[in-house]
Amino acid sequence: MTDRGVLSSFDWGRRRVRGTARAVHAVLLALLFLAGLGPVLWLAKSAITPTQDTLRDPLALWPTGFDFANLATAWTRVRIDEYFLNTVWIAAGAWLVQLVVATTAGFALSVLRPRYRGVVSGVVLATLFVPSVVLLVPLYLTVVDLSMINTFWAVWLPAGANAFNVLLVRRFFDNLPREVFEAARVDGAGPFRLFWSIVLPLSRPILGVVSVFAVIAAWKDFLWPMLVLPDPAVQPLSVRLPALQRFIELDVFLAALAISTVIPVALFLAFQRLFLNGGALSGAVKG
Amino acid sequence: MKSIAVLAVATAVLAACSGGGARSADGRTVVTVSLDPGLEQGAVDAFNARVARFESANPAIDLVPREYEWDATTFTTQLAGGTLPDVFTVPFTDGRGLIEREQIADISGEVAGLPYAGKFNEEVAKAGSADDGRMWAVPIAAHGQALHYNRTLFTQAGLDPDEPPTSWEGIRSAARQISEKTGQAGFAMMTSGNTGGWIATTLAYAFGGRTEKLEGDTAKSTADSAGMVKALQAVKAMRWDDNSMGANFLYEWGTINQDFAAGRIGMYVSGGGNYGSLKAQNAMKPEDYGVTALPLTGGPDAGVLGGGTLAAVSAGASDPVRAAAVEWIDFYYLEKLTNEDAAVADAKTTADSGQAVGSPELPVFDKAAFDERMTWIAQYVNVPVEQMTPYTDRMFDQPLVPEPTRSTQQVYALLDPVVQAVLTDRGADVGALLSGVQVQAQALLDRR
Amino acid sequence: MTAPPSLDAAQPVAAAVQPAVPVRRRPRRSPVTWVRGGGLGPVVFLLPMLVVFGLFSWAPIVQTVVMSVQETNLVTDPTFVGLDNFRAVLADPLLWTAVRNTLWFAVLALLLGYPVPLVAAVLMSEVRRFKGLYSTLAYLPVVIPPVVAVLLWKFFYDASPGGVFNTLLGAVGLGPVPWLQDASTAMVSLVVEATWAAAGGTIIIYLAALTGVPPEQYEAAEIDGASVWGKVWHVTLPRLRGVLLITFILQVVGTAQVFLEPFLFTGGGPANSTTTILLLIYDYAFANSLGGDYGSATALSLLLAVVLGILSAVYFRLTRSWSAS
Repeated sequence: MTDRGVLSSFDWGRRRVRGTARAVHAVLLALLFLAGLGPVLWLAKSAITPTQDTLRDPLALWPTGFDFANLATAWTRVRIDEYFLNTVWIAAGAWLVQLVVATTAGFALSVLRPRYRGVVSGVVLATLFVPSVVLLVPLYLTVVDLSMINTFWAVWLPAGANAFNVLLVRRFFDNLPREVFEAARVDGAGPFRLFWSIVLPLSRPILGVVSVFAVIAAWKDFLWPMLVLPDPAVQPLSVRLPALQRFIELDVFLAALAISTVIPVALFLAFQRLFLNGGALSGAVKG
Repeated sequence: MKSIAVLAVATAVLAACSGGGARSADGRTVVTVSLDPGLEQGAVDAFNARVARFESANPAIDLVPREYEWDATTFTTQLAGGTLPDVFTVPFTDGRGLIEREQIADISGEVAGLPYAGKFNEEVAKAGSADDGRMWAVPIAAHGQALHYNRTLFTQAGLDPDEPPTSWEGIRSAARQISEKTGQAGFAMMTSGNTGGWIATTLAYAFGGRTEKLEGDTAKSTADSAGMVKALQAVKAMRWDDNSMGANFLYEWGTINQDFAAGRIGMYVSGGGNYGSLKAQNAMKPEDYGVTALPLTGGPDAGVLGGGTLAAVSAGASDPVRAAAVEWIDFYYLEKLTNEDAAVADAKTTADSGQAVGSPELPVFDKAAFDERMTWIAQYVNVPVEQMTPYTDRMFDQPLVPEPTRSTQQVYALLDPVVQAVLTDRGADVGALLSGVQVQAQALLDRR
Repeated sequence: MTAPPSLDAAQPVAAAVQPAVPVRRRPRRSPVTWVRGGGLGPVVFLLPMLVVFGLFSWAPIVQTVVMSVQETNLVTDPTFVGLDNFRAVLADPLLWTAVRNTLWFAVLALLLGYPVPLVAAVLMSEVRRFKGLYSTLAYLPVVIPPVVAVLLWKFFYDASPGGVFNTLLGAVGLGPVPWLQDASTAMVSLVVEATWAAAGGTIIIYLAALTGVPPEQYEAAEIDGASVWGKVWHVTLPRLRGVLLITFILQVVGTAQVFLEPFLFTGGGPANSTTTILLLIYDYAFANSLGGDYGSATALSLLLAVVLGILSAVYFRLTRSWSAS
């Protein structure tokens, strides 16, 4: 594909167009800096500024010096590390459950093809049309009935009931070359070997996509973990931070927010391509 | 059939994972007990010291502290989810409702065996008792509402911190002076998570109003009483005529405490014993703190809204857990009110860890027992007692009126938006808003 | 910008349901022959999905319907109350406030959240140098955990003249704005933050779609003497029609379920001006300290589900016809 947009090289050659385009782009870049980076930089600054300075003049740069102790306090007294670890656990578990459910189901429906697969796919697909909010109350009561409250299972397992993942993976498997399966069968491979040694290694791309969606969703989730994880000892950052706000001094609180932001931002900068492609993808397929 | 078996297996596995049996590995009875969230390290140490002491006196019991604080908006999930600690606290307002629906354990048998069982203040005991008088939840603290103020802001505004306002006109002019001179909120008010209704009701009482009237078994809502109208109009005048209430109108208990401790609020109304949590959760500077009695106006009906805290045991507790839980309630919450050694030990640990001893409170038992206890702990008192005298000198003389008893929190929730409207909408029609609340509150009261 | 990874998922679903090989009709099989014939394999592989979906999707869906016609408080046995819950919900004056607020949120979110990313994406697609920098900056807010973003903005929205935004506005002689502290500005404030948080994601989607515009079409337009604006209007935007429609519906479905912002910013205040439908459902079920009204909560959930279900169905049809085109 040639790399061009609305403006042709001819347009770029015209001085007026080029000037306007450059100016617009400069303004755009400035705005993006302000909106994208501004809040992050402000947070970083305030994390090491004493409360009274932040309150009195929020935009001044360290009028009375730094306060690096905030970060240490946030880490130790507020135990951000613990909640951060909980967040990681929750995301990791949700990711694994979603992957297991989606790949096994996709494999069964697409490769093994039992006769009743039409019915099964139908009921799975139907849940795509039910918005998650409808399930809030009964799902909560189910989790209560199963005594999963205050356990990570309460977040992991419901995350697995994601019809979109199943659909995504099954469609991918449908397009794998069936001759490979037949050849493996002739060689005496049972369904388990077929799944583990043939299908999974061929599905890296789709597993990556499902993984990105799963981790991002788990990282962002708030309402559900708030409901099912009332014990602070197992709460992720997203649930714990609003509660902490009420009894932590402002500077320490901002330091806690800053720490919670650093890691996802660092991950993003390291794996930009994955994020941006995944983001583009989510628009194309996500429902 | 298969799916049922799968369900059973899944459930068993999950139940095993969730843990939480009533026995620890060494056969001790495990009891989860409540610990206030967000405490300073000193306060946590003090609590752990008490736990250790209890465990050495009761080797068969293993206490597991769990962070817990009653909050109208999260309590029900914890109740429904069965995730409350075995011993937890609720405000007086919820005691009767929980008992009627049997949502807490019946510990009346164990409580009746406590040496001071019959000595509770009559009004206070009612909050935790069923209709037949048996006590299901134990009152552990009682308080009347008071006006807290920041002495430093008073001084900065040119007011005498030793002469806090004694009338609502006084509060209004002090608020105006503080906001003009210091730029901080002169007077602030809670408005969210049912606390708006709580404080509005407090003000209505102070202006001689009530929010419900009981006639035999039926309750009539009087949320639009003249006292409530006058109270909210007084607030409205401070907000819109004087602009002395700052810029935050979405406070709840935790956030208003925080801003008060940070020196952003001149005065606010809350429970009289609030200093303890201001110190433990918000690092309040003692020299900033002042508290005075709520001015009463509007004739003989004017009174101070009184509330308190009950200790209860979760409904699912097994017999041994229940017994152990009551032991802990006795040890941690009540012995220090009734027994000299316990009172001294508690005061000493608390004071040693740098936490507040001697915040104003009202007697859970009779006044004589209360006074006696004060003499026991006198040497450990570390709160700025002098700065509390404007309140403590008068708190026993003010008529104390209990909070409404029917659907209390729900009616508070209805009042929240009214208070918010008064503070955020210059044209808010207090009378019309309140009659709307009255109709809805009556519907709630009739539904029972 | 690389081309969007093409995904088979977007192909028509119907193809998958058609059996590849005509199914051979067999006479009645005994369980033994069924197992021998490999019938067990699919079941074993379907098991995780059946358990997870059964417990956490299908059963709760059924339960929603059941609970919406019951009075349940988890203490006493549920009783059948017919349509009483629906009547109670529809008679609640707060419902219409919540519907109005949710629609208002949706309208504001469209007014702000729709054109901003589109304009940004069209402009960004023309950038020749440091293109990566632009999309990185635009995407950064999306990476910040939503709860952190809301709590941070809550501080920015401090309504006193010394608040962050008010200081900025004060520097150019504006404000102070009451932001969250006034019924007329609270919802706008929520939407501004929500737009800030989400715009990066939408921009990336548009950028991906823009790379799909065939250069020949621009060239053809140029031969016809089209101006730069003419090309945007007649070539770029029509090519984006499909993805614009989809982001539109996604946004409507998303805003109908908005919870985080009103819950953390304002708790629905001031004076219920930011109480949304999901917040109301939450309040019915979870905010009353003496036990939730699960009947009303599920009844309202069902009503919302019907509306959203229709929207999702429309969306699904659109994705199918869009990807088929």
